[in-house]
Amino acid sequence: MTSIAVSGSESTQAVTHARRRGRRSLPWTVWVFGTVAGLMVLLGIFGPYISGDVTAGNLQDRLLGIGQQGHLLGTDGQGRDVLGRLVAGARPSMIAAIVPVLAAGAIGSAVGIAAGMAGQRVHSLIMRTLDVFYAFPAVLLAIAIAASLGNGTLNTVISLSIVLIPPIARIAETETMQLQGMDFMESARASGAGSVAIARRQILPNVLPALIVYCTTLVGLALVFAGGLSFLGLGVAPPNPEWGQMINEQRQYMFTNPTIALIPAVVIFAASLVFNLLGDGLRDALDIRRSTR
Amino acid sequence: MIRFVLRRLGYGVPVIFGVAVIVFATVKIIPGDPVALLAGAGASEATKDELRSRMGLDDNLVMQFWHWLTSALQGDLGTSIAQHRPALPLVADAFGNTLILAAYATVLALLIGLILGGVAGLRPRSIAGRVCSAISSISVSAPQYSVALLLIIYVALNTGMFPVSGMYGDGGGFVDLLWHGFLPALTSALVPAGVIGRVFRASLLDALGMDFVEALRARGLSERRVLVHAVHNTLPSLLTMAGLQVGYLLGGVVFVETIFNWPGLGLLLFQSISARDLPVTQAGVLISALSFVLINIVVDTAHALIDSRVRTS
Repeated sequence: MTSIAVSGSESTQAVTHARRRGRRSLPWTVWVFGTVAGLMVLLGIFGPYISGDVTAGNLQDRLLGIGQQGHLLGTDGQGRDVLGRLVAGARPSMIAAIVPVLAAGAIGSAVGIAAGMAGQRVHSLIMRTLDVFYAFPAVLLAIAIAASLGNGTLNTVISLSIVLIPPIARIAETETMQLQGMDFMESARASGAGSVAIARRQILPNVLPALIVYCTTLVGLALVFAGGLSFLGLGVAPPNPEWGQMINEQRQYMFTNPTIALIPAVVIFAASLVFNLLGDGLRDALDIRRSTR
Repeated sequence: MIRFVLRRLGYGVPVIFGVAVIVFATVKIIPGDPVALLAGAGASEATKDELRSRMGLDDNLVMQFWHWLTSALQGDLGTSIAQHRPALPLVADAFGNTLILAAYATVLALLIGLILGGVAGLRPRSIAGRVCSAISSISVSAPQYSVALLLIIYVALNTGMFPVSGMYGDGGGFVDLLWHGFLPALTSALVPAGVIGRVFRASLLDALGMDFVEALRARGLSERRVLVHAVHNTLPSLLTMAGLQVGYLLGGVVFVETIFNWPGLGLLLFQSISARDLPVTQAGVLISALSFVLINIVVDTAHALIDSRVRTS
């Protein structure tokens, strides 16, 4: 950070300025959606402890409506409490949304920064390899990998991580390239700093705001993808609950009891919306103009 | 211009080779023995061995890849294990249906997106502008399966106006296709519409704030003529985004096709993955990725046609 202040280059000053301003007054969207997102993460951690066992149902109580017999959101086709399964299902859903973004964020930004700092040959080797992954529609690639690996939260996490690495790496590479040739980079090099030190001290702090914004919106996307994988029967194995898988299981009652499948569908929609709006708010706060989607 | 296209095409070749490697590798790690599936239950070990060597599964992986690639280049993508038919025509038929759905969705997405972005960009402070901006933001996060369920329950079942399954009814014909395709296309169009709306709004605001707009106004051009110039300025970014969204539509239709029972590539892929039908899965993913690469080349070329700066860089 200090090196930025010393540099005096106009654009880097703008970056620091924007960041200071962002710290002083965060827009209300960041507070509101940040709080909701935090609560969802907490639900992911503590959900299964609150809900108790939700894998076994009582068939006599199946397909109860909203609020009937003490079931706040009714029961599903197997007579299990829908609210309880939503609460318990928060954990796999949150894991599948957040862990891939963290993993891909770490790997992708390392790859992107390395590509941005490397010489011509290595740079084009890395970027052309990423282009190959870009050639697949993301959903399709995730489905193909998840189908190869089989069921389970871990496999969902792996397939989503692979899918998310290329776009994150591309953002990191673009941001890193923009820093090349700036005064503070020159002075860092002149002072004898090694590549790793420059990457950590000079590049990472400057690249991080854009990456954080992008990764926040990617959590929303990963949530939708993960839900979609389990919706296709590729995620968490029944009878354990997961939001997408709940839609898949209860879809057969769509014409008679539509709410049961609708509730988890709306929950995924709302949760992904929260992370996207949080990302939008952060983008405004950190003054990152480039469209990251 | 021709040189630009040729260079762009040449640059697509290694990408396509990489795609082929990944498709081959992904399918190779799918658990389950295709030979056991093909031979059927109760087949003797000798039958299985013979089948294995006939399918070339005895060779090492590099040789298997080479055989697969060379026959793929000749249009032979293997035989469907589940349906005992060549994989390519199966995939080609399904891909045609997906193209219909994607084209329909593209039209809807452009229509909705341009309206949302136009209103939000021209009247950013008005209530209508804010509402359009909010709708764009919300629809970007909408999971297709959630939207599909909402539409089926609240539009199709409540009003009974739209069918919820398949491509054609008893009548057939183009109108019937439009009618059957409306809900699936609308579902697929929502995310692209939101993205197009946001990009159009942002670039419209950018363009209207530029100096040349002031200059045009100073010369006494009517607001409508000024707007034409401003919109022309938004075309490159709009085109790039719309092109990316067509690619998204081609790949992202798995959920829509599965829910609405649309006989396209997405549904076929879902079925072939569930049935461990490797050749069809391979062919489907390959065709989908190839079309994605092709769309990107077309988008880049169109981009170069509109914006001369791209051509020379």
